[in-house]
Amino acid sequence: MIELRGLEKTYHTGGVDTPVLHGIDLTIEEGEFVALMGPSGTGKSTLMNILGCLDRATGGSYTLAGQDLTSLDDNQLSAIRNRRLGFVFQLFHLLPRVSVLQNVLLPFLYTDPYPSDAKERAVGLLRTVGLEDRMHFKPNALSGGQQQRVAIARALVNEPALLMADEPTGNLDSVASKEIMDIFDRIHAQGRTIIMVTHEPDIAAHASRVITLKDGRVASDVKRD
Amino acid sequence: MRERELALPALPQVAAPRVGLVKPSRVFRLARQAASALWSQKGKAFLMMLGTAVGIMLLTAVVGLSAGVEKRINEIMNTFGPTSMMLRAGGGQMMGMGGRASSGSTLKLDDVAAIRTRLADKAVVAAVIMGDDTPIKAGDQNGQTDVMACDPNFPQAFDWYVASGDPIDEDDERSMARVCVLGSTVAKNLFPDQDPVGQRLLVNKVQFTVKGVLASRGTNTMGFDMDDRLWIPLSTGMRRVFHVDSVRTIRINVRQAKDVTPVNDELTALMRERHRIHPGEDDDFTIRTPDFIAQRIRGMSRTTELVGGALAAVALIVGGVVLMNILLLTVSERVPEIGLKRALGAARRDIFAEFLAESVLVSLMGMAFGVLLGLVPVLVIPKLFPMMPMAVTWKTFAYAALFSSVVGLFFGVQPARRAAKLDPVEALR
Repeated sequence: MIELRGLEKTYHTGGVDTPVLHGIDLTIEEGEFVALMGPSGTGKSTLMNILGCLDRATGGSYTLAGQDLTSLDDNQLSAIRNRRLGFVFQLFHLLPRVSVLQNVLLPFLYTDPYPSDAKERAVGLLRTVGLEDRMHFKPNALSGGQQQRVAIARALVNEPALLMADEPTGNLDSVASKEIMDIFDRIHAQGRTIIMVTHEPDIAAHASRVITLKDGRVASDVKRD
Repeated sequence: MRERELALPALPQVAAPRVGLVKPSRVFRLARQAASALWSQKGKAFLMMLGTAVGIMLLTAVVGLSAGVEKRINEIMNTFGPTSMMLRAGGGQMMGMGGRASSGSTLKLDDVAAIRTRLADKAVVAAVIMGDDTPIKAGDQNGQTDVMACDPNFPQAFDWYVASGDPIDEDDERSMARVCVLGSTVAKNLFPDQDPVGQRLLVNKVQFTVKGVLASRGTNTMGFDMDDRLWIPLSTGMRRVFHVDSVRTIRINVRQAKDVTPVNDELTALMRERHRIHPGEDDDFTIRTPDFIAQRIRGMSRTTELVGGALAAVALIVGGVVLMNILLLTVSERVPEIGLKRALGAARRDIFAEFLAESVLVSLMGMAFGVLLGLVPVLVIPKLFPMMPMAVTWKTFAYAALFSSVVGLFFGVQPARRAAKLDPVEALR
């Protein structure tokens, strides 16, 4: 599903090179639920941004579902994000001016052709996360946990090959966190590939594999059953 | 339903590299997105469209005036006739169309005869003297009217014939006959209950017999009743009514419109020679051609049009700059939104299109308001002041659409570029 070979990322700022990722080799199979851990500044976010096609590596290769993404341009990477990836953010990132349903439909703004069953898919996913009755609400009428559930529905609406979550419970209390992780467990059980950044071991415990980064390298890679 | 959305992800084949422009269906979705963004901040949207609205309002009024002037010129051309020329005593520039304050008594009967001889095969030439608001009386009906003393060929010169009775003829002219032909308004006023032909009336206390009544011409474009006139032989007018030895106007009706310019030159040369005007000296006469009249009318509205047009341009530019700055402000306020949309699959050009669409939409809204406001004076002023010509044409809408789109596109580019250039990683932080 995902193959990283010698992936490197170096930032050039003010004539100074700051290497962040030093040749990461990684293979993630379809259906894995990967927790990405490690102290701050070890390149977790950078790796996530590259995996999420929001940023480009400066060396090595990245293959997603058999497609080499290393040398794609902005339009192509945008299409990959739109068709293959789903994002869940720590701060939810819902668009406050439109309804919950419109938020879930947002990715299709950039999908050609527009799927004829877009609305059914969105409503179905809102039902799955238990918010069908709130679909005409504005996001700020919802609790944090509910907002994150909307964000999960949005991340799944394009049936992504890979779901990326960046500290999805980082802004939630323990009750809401549990709800969110239950949903992740269900998504995992259905066989979708997930990569999640987290600092919390009990959240990482939901994953089937825990990869720890240290100083831009893979420090440990533990699979569980 | 549950089965469906829980199914394993079918890996969609990602389309081949997409190059070129944003697809039309997507443009529509992005435009709707832009409209929803504007709707969510109506106050800002109002400020963004204000300048465009004012500019388009002024533009609509100016285009309305300009179109009205052209329409008025057309109407006058139709009345005056494309083959008609007027030679008037007195030179220089006279204001307005009436020209009743003509100076000088330099146009003599031998000038008329010379012109008639020179243009015999090209034009009908008729001399006219006009007596404004001359008292007339018939029985117990009193009134005032414009008395026109004219050569007997005036029906040909003015293309205006009697509807009943007889026209003034050469014998009347030779004998200084006290006969007249009435305009239909005069006929109606003086002889409401009887056939005017053969009746008697007093013009300036001189007794006249009515020979005929002219066909009605109605009011002209300036609102004057063309039928409120009374025509008498030229010789009678000069000797018995006005006591003058010069004529005011010579009407020259050329047979072919293409002769207007050569006849104009010929007349000028002839008159300068006859009046012994040396090179460098001004004419002591004025020739009016259809073109001259059109230019004169255009000249009267040109200042208004220029000032209005300049104000419209200033409003559009200032409005555009305001629009641009507010949109730049909203770009910086909406950085997280832009980052989110990039993550969800918006390419740079999608973000660019979305913000440009906001700019264009807001300008088009300004256009709608501007046209509505601008049409108020265009429709109301001619009702209140019939002298002010204003008209609505397709140009009103074409110019409004053109200029507001240009403002939206031009001033939207910079904010849209700034939004599109944002790094998604930075924007999401």
